[in-house]
Amino acid sequence: MPENEITTKALTKNFGKFVAVDNLNLDIKGGELFGLLGPNGAGKTTTVRMLCTLIEPSGGTAVVAGHDIREEPALVRREVGVVSDGVSLYKDLTIEENLKLLSTLYELPKNKAEKRIHELMDMFGFREKAKRLVGALSTGWAKKAMICAALLHEPKVLFLDEVTSGLDPQSAIALQDFTRNLCNEGVTVIWTTHYMGEPEKICDRIGIVFAGRLVQVGSPSELKHSVNELYTVEVVSPGLTKAQLNKVRGLADVCKVSYEEPLLRVTCEKYEGLAEEVAGALLSSGAKIRSINTKEPTLEDAFIALTGGEEEIDRFLEKSLQKK
Amino acid sequence: MIDSLAVAANDLRRFTRNRTSILISLIILPFFFTASLGAGQGGAGTHFSATADIRMAFIDNDYSIASGRLWQTLVSSPDFHRLVQGYTEQTAIASLGRGRIYAAIVVPKGFAADLANNNTARIMLYTDDSEPGVSDQIQAALKNDIQNFNPNLEVQPLRFNTSLFPVQIIQKGTVFAGFNVGLTIVLGIVQIFAGFYEIAGGMAREREEGTYARMLLSPISIGSILFGKTIFDLLLSTLRTFIVLGFAVFVYGAKPNTDLITLLSLSLLLALVTMGLGFVVSALKVGTRAVVILEFFLVLSLFAFSGLIIDRELLQGVSHTISILLPFSYGFDALKRTILLGTPVLSLTTDLQFMVGSALLFYGLSYVMLVRSRERLST
Repeated sequence: MPENEITTKALTKNFGKFVAVDNLNLDIKGGELFGLLGPNGAGKTTTVRMLCTLIEPSGGTAVVAGHDIREEPALVRREVGVVSDGVSLYKDLTIEENLKLLSTLYELPKNKAEKRIHELMDMFGFREKAKRLVGALSTGWAKKAMICAALLHEPKVLFLDEVTSGLDPQSAIALQDFTRNLCNEGVTVIWTTHYMGEPEKICDRIGIVFAGRLVQVGSPSELKHSVNELYTVEVVSPGLTKAQLNKVRGLADVCKVSYEEPLLRVTCEKYEGLAEEVAGALLSSGAKIRSINTKEPTLEDAFIALTGGEEEIDRFLEKSLQKK
Repeated sequence: MIDSLAVAANDLRRFTRNRTSILISLIILPFFFTASLGAGQGGAGTHFSATADIRMAFIDNDYSIASGRLWQTLVSSPDFHRLVQGYTEQTAIASLGRGRIYAAIVVPKGFAADLANNNTARIMLYTDDSEPGVSDQIQAALKNDIQNFNPNLEVQPLRFNTSLFPVQIIQKGTVFAGFNVGLTIVLGIVQIFAGFYEIAGGMAREREEGTYARMLLSPISIGSILFGKTIFDLLLSTLRTFIVLGFAVFVYGAKPNTDLITLLSLSLLLALVTMGLGFVVSALKVGTRAVVILEFFLVLSLFAFSGLIIDRELLQGVSHTISILLPFSYGFDALKRTILLGTPVLSLTTDLQFMVGSALLFYGLSYVMLVRSRERLST
């Protein structure tokens, strides 16, 4: 079992009276791809900035790659790589020149630095763009350049903060695959995003953050199954009578039945055979079915349920906007 | 040290890529200021009269119609093209020997009354006695012109022995025949103007673009960043010194009374004070726009309080206090004393102490502020 690469204990960050991160407790293992999922303003970026020592916590502590972020920030910096919107490369230099500068700042031996730069440029396909200034690269290539820079000193922990925003779907998928491979090589990756679909596909575990608090941690499957309303069958069936609805309610394991003409929604704890049973009950009572659709719980459902429902999220987002 | 050199080399590489920066920092600023002032004094020596281009103060203590007529007579004379008002008798005397004015013509109280009573009226002429030849020429020209005004008028020359005052005598040739005063002004202004923008503006840009945060994420210390950026800007300041000096000497005939090493050292010391101030400003998280606005205030304060345009001795009250507190004043003073008077740099202890002290203060303050505001500056 790999050791924890990141451990936070009651990590807190206040900006004046506003609590951006509230008592965050996390354990992330080496080589894990950990997703931090939450809406804008939830505290994801602040968490990343604290863990990579750009900002100081107001309370609590964290150990990253074996070093305390408060006691040994310089050592933490040697072990982490960061790709974030507020961190950039020199636009008036080429990617190679940027990497050379960083290799000096990270005190890499010259031979090793040159080898690593060539390796990264080959890996990311920068050979043909070696002479092009970073400012002249497209968004996708600029992101790749940022990742190159973050990986230059072979960090143990890589923070990818909203890294796919602005990327085309192909580049985003390629980046997800690349990140997965990095984790297979032992790099611990913290992937923050507000896109629900991303972490579900690639992360080993996900932490749902909301209003500065870590609401739940688990694998995508665990999170999806941690909410009560698990499986749903949606049936488009006009003119259902009370008797027909009661027949559906009478089915075994059915938790909830709601009908808003013409949509019937049935939620149940089990998945196997649910659609067939509902359809059978309706047809046998003479109802007409236009369409039937089975829905597995998604991360989005889990997120909404865990964060107190859509209204609560709307209230939070409104507050965040007002703050801005 | 290696990381500081990497920062300096990086800044230099970026500078050489940016044509606008090169154009502004090394061409437009030095050439514009030098040419402006140089062209302003370009007419020296073209007048027939030997005294025409000598700057003199006219002090009217009588405030009468007669004294007003005398002023009109003198300014319309070909001998006194650079007669100025605004000085008091005391401030004019204090300014003699500083290269600002070479003589002071004082109309005493009772001047008009003497004329009206057919008595001999007198005016006083204070001259810098460092060049008796010129003093005599001024006296002769004045005598000639006032005879035309009123034959009863007499000139009473008062030789001003500057050695009794804490100011030193400026050699006539270096003050009036060349571009030495212009050189002190241009060198100071250019170093301050460019140095402040390069540091405060450069840091603001780095912060806004996220490259400063990138640097803070690496193991480099704040001290190394400061040192690296200072090395780069000292290099630019050296280049600028040579450009201004070359232009002033070879185009406008300046003949500095000091050696190149002294001139360069003072110029770089002035640049260091400015850079320190630039770092302090950058630690306040001001944006690039705000830096431009601050630059205007800085340059305006230089014009107003540093002795650049108005002698510090002429400033009164709050203005005088500001000029004492403004570290750049001492830089300009040191430049004047060395370039104009040939004073050995090591004898300028007050100026040097203030400049070195200010540079250390600004650098120390900026270091503490940058460390303490690391968090603010990285977001």
